Amino acid sequence: MDVTSTFSPADPPSADPAGSGPVVSFHNVSIAFEGPPVLEDITFSVDPGETRVLLGPAGVGKSVLLKLIIGLLRPDEGSVTLFGEDISSMPEEKLFPLRARTGMIFQEGALFDSLSVRDNVAYQLVQQGNIPDADIDTRVREALTFVGLEETFSLFPDSLSGGMRRRVAIARGLINHPELLLYDSPTGGLDPVTSTNIIELIVKQRDVNRTPSLMVTHRLQDAFVLCTHHYETQYGCMVPLPNGEIDPNTTFLMLNEGRLIFDGTLHQLLHSDDPFVREFIQ
Amino acid sequence: MAIKTLDRTAKKIVQAVQEYSLFAWQALTNLYRPPIYWSEFLMQSDIIGVGSLSIVILSGISTGGVLALQSAATLSAFGATAVTGQFVSLTMIRELGPVLTGVMVSGRNASSMASELGSMVVTEQIDAMRALGVDPMRKLVTPRIFSSIAMLFFLTIVSDACGIFGGGLVTVLMNHQNGTQYFSMAWEHLRFPDIVQGLVKPLFFGYILGSIGCYYGMNTTGGTQGVGRSTIQAVVTASVLIIFVDFLITQLLLSLFSGWM
Repeated sequence: MDVTSTFSPADPPSADPAGSGPVVSFHNVSIAFEGPPVLEDITFSVDPGETRVLLGPAGVGKSVLLKLIIGLLRPDEGSVTLFGEDISSMPEEKLFPLRARTGMIFQEGALFDSLSVRDNVAYQLVQQGNIPDADIDTRVREALTFVGLEETFSLFPDSLSGGMRRRVAIARGLINHPELLLYDSPTGGLDPVTSTNIIELIVKQRDVNRTPSLMVTHRLQDAFVLCTHHYETQYGCMVPLPNGEIDPNTTFLMLNEGRLIFDGTLHQLLHSDDPFVREFIQ
Repeated sequence: MAIKTLDRTAKKIVQAVQEYSLFAWQALTNLYRPPIYWSEFLMQSDIIGVGSLSIVILSGISTGGVLALQSAATLSAFGATAVTGQFVSLTMIRELGPVLTGVMVSGRNASSMASELGSMVVTEQIDAMRALGVDPMRKLVTPRIFSSIAMLFFLTIVSDACGIFGGGLVTVLMNHQNGTQYFSMAWEHLRFPDIVQGLVKPLFFGYILGSIGCYYGMNTTGGTQGVGRSTIQAVVTASVLIIFVDFLITQLLLSLFSGWM
């Protein structure tokens, strides 16, 4: 896959979009759906420039947590702060401008199947209503080149493979130069080669544009690659960090049975005494 | 145990009615606040209006024809076959035109809305739309409801005209009666309240089929099986509600126009 292009935003987001505070913060958040709590008493934050990897077994509430971040779901208790604003009980209409500042990549891509790849990627720009078509086309091509799919411009999602759909979804998430990126199991169900390509894109976005992000995954190898590699612009590919270093801005969270059982660095994760964390890693 | 089940079911029904009312109200008020997606409105009008034209024409002609056949058989016993035209036109315009068109269009479009929106819900496309900063209520629901209202109004007029024409065909070709007499009776005995009744009903029926189709679609749960369930529920609920609301509106309009009749 060609990932050599540099998708440089014309108007790149500032490194610290929400001032000095965290981009996202959860404070004692709980949520339930007709039964026991899915998430209980969750507290964490995502700081500017930080990449957080949310680990946990399937069905533990990772996607629910992502949806809480941009107000697609509302917490039963606690508060969620996005770009410095408490969104826990914010009216839907006020949430739309905040959501437009984020990019969310859904588990299966969630592309609009009635629209072409061009229209999917351009969706946010078209909705703004004041950008000329020629400019939109240029930005869509840039975003598609960034994910190595410039040839799919006129195709429809039906004709794309699972991995291509995820990459188009990443292009759609990046087109508006988001100040926060949320990845919901971006490599789930993909073959190892495609998974590595997707992780390379995420590393590239992290290292080239320094966008804070939160990536949900249950694949430990993806999380470790993210932590131990960096994007080398000179070579146009992802390479391991020298001398076994780890990326200092990539840290981990782990959920189990609705509770946050770990929040720390790769080193702390590998040396955790928590029996579930140890079992998960092994 | 039985009381508990009854209690739970009653609560679910009340909650569903409450949710539907809020949903329908929000969709209605969206028309008075920007952004309004006119292009979506036109596209849905084409799908609902032009797309339903063939079934409305066919069902209208058949219904008018059946009415003429049945009425001629009964009226001939009293030597009153001359009023076949009046009978067909009044029945089509006041009752059968709006109700049949409402039920036919809801069978085609409430199901289509429920399945389309339901599929978008289960594949997270609705969440993606919200995440991209676009309100699906404004973008998807409001245009569908108002297109349904506008198109059902015109489709009902088409159905009425086709029904009277179909009745005329049967009267002339099968009952061997005078066509001029049929059409003049159909026209001369129409009164203002008849027209009002016939044109007010589709406005309500359009709102019902659009809002019910969208409500079930947007509240789909349970994957692809859930989409099928939503589709069935949308068609059944919309059809039953149309017939029930028809009774209420007829009662109301008859009492309002009691002096005219």
